[in-house]
Amino acid sequence: MMWETAILVGLMFGGACFLILQASFVRILFGFILLSNAANLFLLAMSGRPDGKTAPVLQGGNGGPPVDPLPQALILTAIVIGFGVIAYMVVLLYRTFLDQHTANACELFDPRRERPKEDAS
Amino acid sequence: MKTGDSYIFRSVASFLFFVINVFAVYLLLRGHNLPGGGFIGGLGSALSLIMLSMAYGVREAQKVLRVDPVRLATVGLLLAVVTGMLPLFLGEPFLRHFHWKFDGLPLLGKLEVGTPLLFDIGIFLVVVGVTAKMIFVLFRSISGLTALNPSEWRRYSADLEEPVEREHSRSSSELETEDGP
Amino acid sequence: MKALVLALPILLPLLTAIVLLLAGRRRWRRWLVALSALVQLGVALVLAQGAYGQPPQVLALGGWAAPYGIVLVIDLLAAIMLALGALTALAAILFGLAELPPEDENPLRLPLIQFLVTGINLAFCTADLFNLFVAFEVMLIASYALLTLEADDWDIKQAFPYLALNLVGSTLFLVAAGLTYGMFGSLNFALIAERADALAGTPQLTLLSLLFLTVFGMKAGVFPLFYWLPNSYPILPSPVAALYAGMLTKVGVYVLLRIFGQVLPPDLPLPHLLMAWLAAATMIFGVLGAVSRNFIRGILSFHILSQIGYMVLAIGLFTPYALAAAIFYIIHHIVVKSTLFLVGGTVVVLNRTDDLEKTGRLWLATPVLGVIFLLQALSLAGIPPLSGFWGKYMIIVEGVRQQEWVLVFCALLAGVLTLFSMLKIWNGAFWAASAKEGVHTEERRWRPMAAVAGGMTVVSLGIGFGAEFFLRVAHEAARQLLDRPAYIDFLLRGGG
Repeated sequence: MMWETAILVGLMFGGACFLILQASFVRILFGFILLSNAANLFLLAMSGRPDGKTAPVLQGGNGGPPVDPLPQALILTAIVIGFGVIAYMVVLLYRTFLDQHTANACELFDPRRERPKEDAS
Repeated sequence: MKTGDSYIFRSVASFLFFVINVFAVYLLLRGHNLPGGGFIGGLGSALSLIMLSMAYGVREAQKVLRVDPVRLATVGLLLAVVTGMLPLFLGEPFLRHFHWKFDGLPLLGKLEVGTPLLFDIGIFLVVVGVTAKMIFVLFRSISGLTALNPSEWRRYSADLEEPVEREHSRSSSELETEDGP
Repeated sequence: MKALVLALPILLPLLTAIVLLLAGRRRWRRWLVALSALVQLGVALVLAQGAYGQPPQVLALGGWAAPYGIVLVIDLLAAIMLALGALTALAAILFGLAELPPEDENPLRLPLIQFLVTGINLAFCTADLFNLFVAFEVMLIASYALLTLEADDWDIKQAFPYLALNLVGSTLFLVAAGLTYGMFGSLNFALIAERADALAGTPQLTLLSLLFLTVFGMKAGVFPLFYWLPNSYPILPSPVAALYAGMLTKVGVYVLLRIFGQVLPPDLPLPHLLMAWLAAATMIFGVLGAVSRNFIRGILSFHILSQIGYMVLAIGLFTPYALAAAIFYIIHHIVVKSTLFLVGGTVVVLNRTDDLEKTGRLWLATPVLGVIFLLQALSLAGIPPLSGFWGKYMIIVEGVRQQEWVLVFCALLAGVLTLFSMLKIWNGAFWAASAKEGVHTEERRWRPMAAVAGGMTVVSLGIGFGAEFFLRVAHEAARQLLDRPAYIDFLLRGGG
């Protein structure tokens, strides 16, 4: 279990880096989604084996040992934050696409692109 | 994006909307001592709004929600913060929570309520508001509307600003004629 | 009542933001936000006064004690940073009020600034990594929103490097938090500090500290990963840019101080050495970038990096004296840098642009603004007896003492180049005989704007001439920071 998780986390980080370094907006976006999920999986791996354990809330005393709540809370926080940031990023990419008529980071940051004259303010 | 063209989806959506929201409130109420709580309940409720936007179009969904989602989120945040602050005035630390147990209430029987419920309701509102805001903005953009409707536009933008979409939208007449919810 | 005062630095901006959001575009929101910023400054000063020579003040949220619950700890360093943050926020808000009439200002700007301040203050007060992560994210999300809120269609693409690098930084932060939890079984600073002593000198601890160095160095803008900063700050409106320039990167430096000074054991030779050399590189590359730019906010943005280099160099040298120098340098730099951005904003109002080829004639038009700029620019370059001199002097003395000649040389070279690029602004904006679009002194608003910058200059002069007092405070803050056994004892067994 340990090794499988480690390999999976490594693959996810690798894939995320590959995607982030592409030029297309959509791939960059998917790269960041994959990156935050890889970090969450890593945190989950830090909380030990989850199988056979119960949720860390007050119960009638019939459950087994509870899972470690802190990494779970950290993951939940990270998911929420990641969700917000990804939503922001989607809107930012969409707006850039509307403004600059390109969905390619290389074109967007091309130094030969001139600032349009009409909104020079 | 084409919305509102499936009769089956619309019928199911209008029925499921209530079921999802009842379940969301159930999740909210059972929180704190059992898996559930304001966050997951709020996500459920926001999910129902996404479904409505897909079935009936985003304007109908905004009419169902009635209020400005940002206001909803702000009120929720205020509720959560004030709940956390109350103990400060009693000389207790920030975010201290209190519980009361009632026995033998009519209809309900044994009941345990506490200030975490208020806090959770605040979180519920924040999550519904923020998620609904994101969904509405994205849905409006892909259906050729401005990201903000006119009343939100008056509230959240400076006088000099122009909607980004104005020059890009396919039918500019649609932008002009829309009335606020 | 003590609990209320300790919670106020976080609650006050948060509540202000909520009320501002509910207030929409009503007129009184501007007075409310100015009042709130003033009260925040007062609270922070009270906290700083209470922290001098005393054990840290602890607020256990929900009444759960230190290693298990979330605690906010305010020691002298945190209180100083809170006060500086409140001061910068006050100046930025007043400047914004003077710069724009209410109907031109985006109604979301003030609430977002308050959310940003909430995040920054939480980062200063927190005593565990989890909360630090939350604080960073509150701060970053507010900063993303502010960055693009008023950016125009062309500039908005500069938000990408900012967003991307900070997102990668947050992910690495999560990984570092996960590793810390795996190694120590806790995210509480005091408990990590206690358990890290047993691991002192092991490769795991070195690796973890290098990861921390990467994460917080990235947030501070240290050499290889600074690319997010210099292109994104110039697209901000000037008051917000002043707040960012003053506080945002300093949060990274503060956390480096906190983690390396207090949480991790002091004998980490490799990370400290690496930090010092990266800092030297940051100084040189930052100042070279500044020399290459030809508009005021671009030059100033690169200068942030070069000055961050001095602070991180001081942390890298890692003696009590050097840490005191770093703290003093932070105090000096926050005030000076935000004032320079405010002056830049005033120049934009007067000359309609901050492109140095089109600005000019300002010395004739407003000698006062010229004096303000000159004082702050010379202070940034480190001319005695202005405030920048003392910090640089202490850092160089410490470098000479440790016989790190190359580092000392880099610090001196960066100082000279700073002076050079500041003179470039001086020549272009104040001394040049012609301005392309004229000098618009008939715009009444430049006077209150210059007055805010002048007020900050008085504070900066106070730091320079009253250096003895501020040095004593910095030494005391460094002493508290480095007294790890007392901190651990106090948090885990004593107060709490």
